[in-house]
Amino acid sequence: MSESSSKDGFSVSRRTFLKSFGTTAAVAATAQVEAVAAELDKVNKEKIVGPDAVPITLQVNGKAIKLTVEPRVTLLDAMRNMTQFTGNKEVCDRATCGACSMFVDDKLVYSCSMLAIEAQGKKVTTIEGLGQPGNLSPVQAAFVEQDALMCGYCTPGFVMSVTALLRKNPKPTEADVRHACSGNLCRCGTYPRILQAALKAAGVTKISKTEVIPYGNVA
Amino acid sequence: MATWPEKPTYISSHHTRIDGPLKVSGAAKYPSDMQPDGWLYGMILRSKWAAAKVTKINLDPALKVPGIKAAVLAPAVEERQKAGSDVTLRYYGEEIAGVAGTSKQACLDALKAIQVEATELPFAVREEDAKADDAPRVWEDAPNLSKFSVRETGTVDQAFSECSAVVEGFYTTPVQIHNPLETHGNTVSWTDDGITCWASTQGVSGVRDDLSHGLGVPASQVRVISDFMGGGFGGKFGPITEGVIAGLLSKAAKAPVRLMLTRFDEALAVGNRPSSFQKIKLGAKEDGTLHAFEFENYGTAGIGAGGSTAGGGSGLALRAPYIYTVPNTRVKQAGVAVNAGSARAFRAPSCPPSSFGMESIMDDLAVKMNIDPVEFRLKNDNRTPGWEIRQKEYKIGAEKFGWKEKYKKPGSSQGIVKTGIGCAGSAWGGGGRGSQAEVEIHPDGSVEIRCGTQDLGTGTKTYMALIGADIFGLKPEQITVRIGDTRFPPSGGSGGSSTSPSVSPAILDACTNALKVLQDQTGVADARGENWSGACKKLGVNPLVAQGRWQQGLSSQNTGGVQFAEVDVDTETGFVKVKKVLVVQDGGLILSRLTCESILNGGVIMGMGYALYEERVMDRNSGVMLNPNFETYKLTGLGDVPEIEIVFFDMPERGVIGIGEPSTIPTAAAIANAVANAIGVRVSSLPITPQRVLAALGKDKLSVA
Amino acid sequence: MKAFEYATALSTDSARELVGANGAYLAGGNDLLALMKEYLVDPKRLVNIKSLPGMDKIQSGAKGWTIGALATVAEIEDHQELAKAHPGLQQAAAEVGSRQIRNVATVGGNLAQHSRCWYFRHRDVLCLKKGGEMCYARHGESKYHSLFTGNTCISPIPSNLAIAFGVLGATVVVLRDGKETPMSIPDLYQKAWDEPTAHNSLQQGDLIVRVEVPAQQRKSAYLQLSEKSVFDWALVSCAAAAKVDGKKLSDVKIFLGAVSNVPYQVQAANEFLEGKTVDDATASKAADLLLEKAHVQAHNGYKVPIVRALVGRTLAQLTA
Repeated sequence: MSESSSKDGFSVSRRTFLKSFGTTAAVAATAQVEAVAAELDKVNKEKIVGPDAVPITLQVNGKAIKLTVEPRVTLLDAMRNMTQFTGNKEVCDRATCGACSMFVDDKLVYSCSMLAIEAQGKKVTTIEGLGQPGNLSPVQAAFVEQDALMCGYCTPGFVMSVTALLRKNPKPTEADVRHACSGNLCRCGTYPRILQAALKAAGVTKISKTEVIPYGNVA
Repeated sequence: MATWPEKPTYISSHHTRIDGPLKVSGAAKYPSDMQPDGWLYGMILRSKWAAAKVTKINLDPALKVPGIKAAVLAPAVEERQKAGSDVTLRYYGEEIAGVAGTSKQACLDALKAIQVEATELPFAVREEDAKADDAPRVWEDAPNLSKFSVRETGTVDQAFSECSAVVEGFYTTPVQIHNPLETHGNTVSWTDDGITCWASTQGVSGVRDDLSHGLGVPASQVRVISDFMGGGFGGKFGPITEGVIAGLLSKAAKAPVRLMLTRFDEALAVGNRPSSFQKIKLGAKEDGTLHAFEFENYGTAGIGAGGSTAGGGSGLALRAPYIYTVPNTRVKQAGVAVNAGSARAFRAPSCPPSSFGMESIMDDLAVKMNIDPVEFRLKNDNRTPGWEIRQKEYKIGAEKFGWKEKYKKPGSSQGIVKTGIGCAGSAWGGGGRGSQAEVEIHPDGSVEIRCGTQDLGTGTKTYMALIGADIFGLKPEQITVRIGDTRFPPSGGSGGSSTSPSVSPAILDACTNALKVLQDQTGVADARGENWSGACKKLGVNPLVAQGRWQQGLSSQNTGGVQFAEVDVDTETGFVKVKKVLVVQDGGLILSRLTCESILNGGVIMGMGYALYEERVMDRNSGVMLNPNFETYKLTGLGDVPEIEIVFFDMPERGVIGIGEPSTIPTAAAIANAVANAIGVRVSSLPITPQRVLAALGKDKLSVA
Repeated sequence: MKAFEYATALSTDSARELVGANGAYLAGGNDLLALMKEYLVDPKRLVNIKSLPGMDKIQSGAKGWTIGALATVAEIEDHQELAKAHPGLQQAAAEVGSRQIRNVATVGGNLAQHSRCWYFRHRDVLCLKKGGEMCYARHGESKYHSLFTGNTCISPIPSNLAIAFGVLGATVVVLRDGKETPMSIPDLYQKAWDEPTAHNSLQQGDLIVRVEVPAQQRKSAYLQLSEKSVFDWALVSCAAAAKVDGKKLSDVKIFLGAVSNVPYQVQAANEFLEGKTVDDATASKAADLLLEKAHVQAHNGYKVPIVRALVGRTLAQLTA
């Protein structure tokens, strides 16, 4: 196995290479030059990085964030330990509980199982990107209204799952909600109200059966 | 003398949770989110042996890992090393050392670099293995199986001969892991000014004392903060080994250290609900009154029971015959030590397993005597605390559930998928006292209520705001609530369903006092509501601070609670689907209805996990726990949850009692009884998995066609 | 995880070169990263293959369906045309993990994923599959384990897609040292049957590039039974495909999953079902034939009735 040459720091970009031929239109890049340029492009894009930390730029909630991360740092690690975006939580770190769910481009993923370095060039949306107190998204507002939360630690993950569902299917059935949220766990047991909140955000009111009887009225 | 308002606007309303917006947007900061300046990541090295005598620990290689700023021994290890005594590790997962560094990755590498040499010792990790006479001893100086305690009433042997029907059974429940979503852990900063600890805890005061003691710092120099925390369920009291380790690392590194347990470690070392192996014999007279009860139970609390906590310790000893009246009883209980993590109080300690065993055999006897299970309970649940309320809860519940119409003889449901119903009752103490609170009213009309209590998702912050709003005639949004800080007036730990009965009277008292002082000081006769801002302006320059304490007459103890469950059991695959659970619950005065209902739902869902999915699995040959994760330690999911209906008996005249635990007690028993009713045979071990259902049906063999 | 180098490959040649002797391909990453977090595998370099061109397409043609190895399980789940042609495939895909997992999990990764046995997955247990001396499951907790094995390891295959593809007679095309190597589903897992340390027949550097599902008139169905309703590994799964005429079957294939180190089929069962009408008796006899070589461990005897139930229900679904 040969060490690809770009590892030792040789990283002339394609643009730099072509520029070196001048910018006048008269200097048309020949097929050979183009081929070399393409090869350079490939070599740069296939550049081996790590194991030490490398600089990356992530697009998070519309902001460009510059970080220095080892390749083994997950997207979740990067958010929770290197940025102010601690809203999504580390609960299992094994793709089993959904508390770390984030949008990467338009896909909802477990950020604990994605490397930060892979998220370059993609749009990352954390829970903070969906809405803030005073300006909650319809899903967030529905969660508050229906009390679809208790300790709150699973809540960002569920809000993201319900948001993902409603983006794809604005009129979900109960079964759709259960299916969409199957990748999220809650230990406090907020599920019934998460279901209510999801349906409420979709414009459906599901009444839970709760009755209060004054004890004096009980025979 | 403060009194609960007679016609409250916000107390007992369905007002939304006041910290909801912060939690749904990620703005709520938990101890695991803290990023104080210069903070370091902390991690713990744990024993990979179920039992071993450590011969050498070398932390130096860890210190050479780039980014690592400190490495310390776990206090118990250091203590023994210093004393020159053996460092014996007694379970897979026991703490050995801690490291702190500039990244999680550095810490991972550092843990790998630490050199530990040990001589492996024989171990026993399963109760059946550990209780054998020749089993390896968990503690050298005592057999694993303790002596049985014996408690007798009446003359039980003779009483059995007087019974017209007797049933026997062997009912078992597994070790259950708390598994709150936020693991145990703290962010600790130890500087010359003292210690600040953001703790994921149910008791800031307890953590303050533990850190003060463990780190040798005066209590007045230790501040513990727990503004938000991600669940506890009884496991987050103490001892906080991981907090002490974080403190030692912080001191050594001269930087704050955030040390949260991994999910893997969470399952091993910070508590669990003890198992139970209940041999029960129950007999009744011809008229259906229970007459004789014999009970022998052992279970494991790991290497030892956890420290005593609100809620009655770790819950190893069960309550037998639980809520039922039996004149002649013999109750024998023992504990068996195994090489596994210690038990700690877990939501209604001792009650879910007690309920499961007792309610199962109650149904078994009712079936044998051809008596309706609800009638059987009404006949025999007539003395222990809560019985009058439960009698009514059974009656109303049975009516709303359609019990009489739905009840069929066990196993008589047609088809491959069989339907069944079951019920069970519960009792819980609750009650609490001793909290203090203070209220600060500012000249601009803003109000802050402070109390050193906790909100585990239980709604403490919300009802504090509702109380303030009603006393001052304001909206809850106008009240600032601050909790979870040892700098605030002290309160107790949040366990045993004691928070609301302890805290709310103090809040009521403080608000009542504050209003009085405001009125006295400003001469405004009634400063509430629309008079509020005018009155406050008259305070002048300085805010007004008033105190309050818990007082008699605003809270009490003892709740009942019954549950009904309906299940479908697929007799070809063993799959159990819970279709409906009806909860009939009382809880005195409910301060915040919306959050209370969520708690009741949550208790049922946790009870469902206990019934169908949760079980710590230990491997006898390697000594490890096989499922320290959410893949094979299974929690109830949204896809599993049935319709949960709540009927609440409102009893405001009883004052505030506390509602955190009751609803998780009878759920597994009700579900287990429903399964037995559906398939006509008893699955007497939890969790009721397809494996156990098919085994009960005799189908788990190759020869079956 | 241990530290590693990282590179993104833009061609399969580069990918093979970059992965070398001790690197690993990174597709969805669910399984690979989990294995690395437990220190069960130790690749020195991760090669991101998600930019390899053209490998994520799902296409139909005269010869059948071609599914790129980088197509995600969610794309399979959502693909309406594919679901119409091969419902069993869609049903199997819909049960893989959770939506979040399916969004990144690839077809290739799903087929290549490692055992879920809790001894194999435990960082401190040196079991047979990891080169140790003992199969701990045989002497310990075996409730999730195999009824059929060709060797001492009894950890079952976890892939849903493997049996769903298996009944369709799919060919898995593996790029091995630059050469396309087609494998049937049984071929893809033969090594796992023979050798306790193998999860499948792939060698270092092998890259699954696509799965070819031949054109056929077979209907297909997939069912599984788990302890929880959703997001839970199958205790037993079953896939079946056949030409259906009323309730009469021909050209039948039936596979069991989660009960063997390989997608498990018995030729005699396929042959027996040939030309038969599906009813309780035929389903029961087919199950008998499938179970003939079953060997029950201490805790997994309950899988036997579940196999029977799923065989009957899958065949019923096929002819519904």
